Amino acid sequence: MNAIEVENLYHRFADGTVGIDGITLMIRKGDLVVLAGPNGSGKTTLLRHLNGLLLPDRGRVVVAGIPVSNNVAMARQKVGMVFQDADSQIVGETVHDDAAFGPENLCLGKVEINQRVQSALKKVGLLGLSNQRPHLLSGGEKRRLAIAGILTMEPEIVVFDEPFSSLDYPGVRQVLGEILALHHSGRTIILATHDLEKVIAHADRLIIMNRGKVVRDGLPADIVKDVEQFGVRAPCAIRTGGEFQSWMS
Amino acid sequence: MDELTAFGFYPAGSLLHRLDARFKLVFLVSISIAGLRAEWLALVTLTVFAGIVLLVSRRSLFSILIEIRYFIVFLLLICFVRSISTQGTCLIKTMFFSITQEGIRDGILISWRLLLVVLFGMAFIATTRPSDIRAGVAWFLKPLPFIPHKKVATMIGLVVRFVPVIFNQARETANAQKARGIENRKNPVYRLVRLGLPLVRRTFENADKLALAMEARCYSENRSDPDLSSGVHDWFAAVVVFFLCVFTIVL
Amino acid sequence: MNSASQMHMMVYASLLAALTAAGAYLAIPIGPVPIVLQNLFIMLAGLLLGSRWAMASVGVYLLAGACGLPVFAGGTGGIGKFLGPTGGYLLGFLPAAFFIGMISERTGHRVVFDILAMIGGTLIIYIFGIAWLMVVTGMSLVKTLAVGMFPFLIGDGLKIAAAVPVARALRPVIKPKGREECVINQTK
Repeated sequence: MNAIEVENLYHRFADGTVGIDGITLMIRKGDLVVLAGPNGSGKTTLLRHLNGLLLPDRGRVVVAGIPVSNNVAMARQKVGMVFQDADSQIVGETVHDDAAFGPENLCLGKVEINQRVQSALKKVGLLGLSNQRPHLLSGGEKRRLAIAGILTMEPEIVVFDEPFSSLDYPGVRQVLGEILALHHSGRTIILATHDLEKVIAHADRLIIMNRGKVVRDGLPADIVKDVEQFGVRAPCAIRTGGEFQSWMS
Repeated sequence: MDELTAFGFYPAGSLLHRLDARFKLVFLVSISIAGLRAEWLALVTLTVFAGIVLLVSRRSLFSILIEIRYFIVFLLLICFVRSISTQGTCLIKTMFFSITQEGIRDGILISWRLLLVVLFGMAFIATTRPSDIRAGVAWFLKPLPFIPHKKVATMIGLVVRFVPVIFNQARETANAQKARGIENRKNPVYRLVRLGLPLVRRTFENADKLALAMEARCYSENRSDPDLSSGVHDWFAAVVVFFLCVFTIVL
Repeated sequence: MNSASQMHMMVYASLLAALTAAGAYLAIPIGPVPIVLQNLFIMLAGLLLGSRWAMASVGVYLLAGACGLPVFAGGTGGIGKFLGPTGGYLLGFLPAAFFIGMISERTGHRVVFDILAMIGGTLIIYIFGIAWLMVVTGMSLVKTLAVGMFPFLIGDGLKIAAAVPVARALRPVIKPKGREECVINQTK
């Protein structure tokens, strides 16, 4: 069963540059997929097609059997997105309010919203900070709040855009821990990064993008040796000939 | 200022915290308006009441004084201007101005009233969750035509959320410019532009990202209504405040 | 306007309101009276957002203050601030932003008219501010002007001069846009 099907997708920006140049991709339910590529390779653009922030010029994107263009609202509920800049993803004036933003938009009842917020904050370990103001959180906490904010919408697929950028080591471990927990709970994870080191040990599949195209797609162990020719630094383990090391251990 | 503590909601479970935000808004407005007409006896009563309210709200006197120190300077200024600009019995006469008894009396009266209004405002903020304030305001806007109350509530929420971010940015920008010697430039327009432009630009870049993130989280104007509930204790408080206001105006 | 660009304008208006709130505390320390940035942002709201959204922005700012959020100069907000001595200025922000936005929109963002619009807007703020200050303090018009207007005029002139290049640099960034264009900004 495929969580996401991308068929022959093209995207051209208003200024004429090509963002996505013909991508066809099936993503299996429950996989943790790492999307690698240098800046400007089209990772972010592709991700934004998955929840209808962008709509295709040509081709189509199907989430859980329904084309995104037909039902954008549903796609956004099914595909939760954690942005690169957690700071500007946070909308609420307290931790609790921010986590409640999504379900409020879904017009849920207050009891249901509170229940979801409590359980999402508990999952990411921020329950004790419910009344805290978001800008006082650490980098790792902010990103965990961003994760909680989409968990409350109960997505089946969670998309991360550069989740580790500008985090310190404990921050990376916290966020990676959340990502793995989501994966273990059966959700499909798509994670775009140019920094393979931190996550490659846990990936089921690696997709390398360059100039709007998918240039490699397969098991991490098989294709990771090719990444450097596309402008992504290979993980240390490859360079030294060892095994992938998890950042969690 | 960094923390902007006055934004500070101090979570606790006091009676004031449990009152409905809508009621508290009405209380605040009516006491403020009544307070601006209060004479001496009423002022004393209101001050005692404000003292009780602040005590219940669990704010320390010291932190309150720190917070309103500039306001107190401002009040002293009013006192002074008032005391030299009112006709009456002369107390001190200098070459430029004379201080009158009536002036001092009026100055103190006006300053006291303004101080009370501010103290009640602080008690309100300290005991009311920002989202509840927002919800309360939205509730009052509901019956007004042409004003999309849910949109307004969201916008106020964004203001509260972004003021500290803008402060941080302003400080960073100013420091970066100081590091490169902007203080040697005496042209104020140049410095206004150098500080204002990056600040607004960064803010607007944030706005673009924020709008996208809100879209990704299914933002729609048709959102769940905020949760506000009133009970017997709200009505009881309303009676107390009502009599207090009547008392203040009549005296 | 589609809903995406509506939302963009809404976010811009909110953030300009936040800038105005922060501007009450931000000052450039030059000369004896530091130049507070607040009314610079009121003018920019008019120039950048246009009449309707500028008024929404200032309205939200005032409303946030009225609910007791400390967004006004002096730190302590609340409905009482409108009844206090500086309440007139605050109220004057609303028509001033609308006026600046309206003139600037209708004259195609030409510099001369932008400046005239800002001078007009500043006057509107003072008309409201001075009138109310007279009522509250019971001072004569001359004294009120001496306390409540003359000391700030130079600063206002400087801010008008500064608003022109800022508005010109930022207008291309925020002209009402559809989804496509904003994403370009994103991916750059």
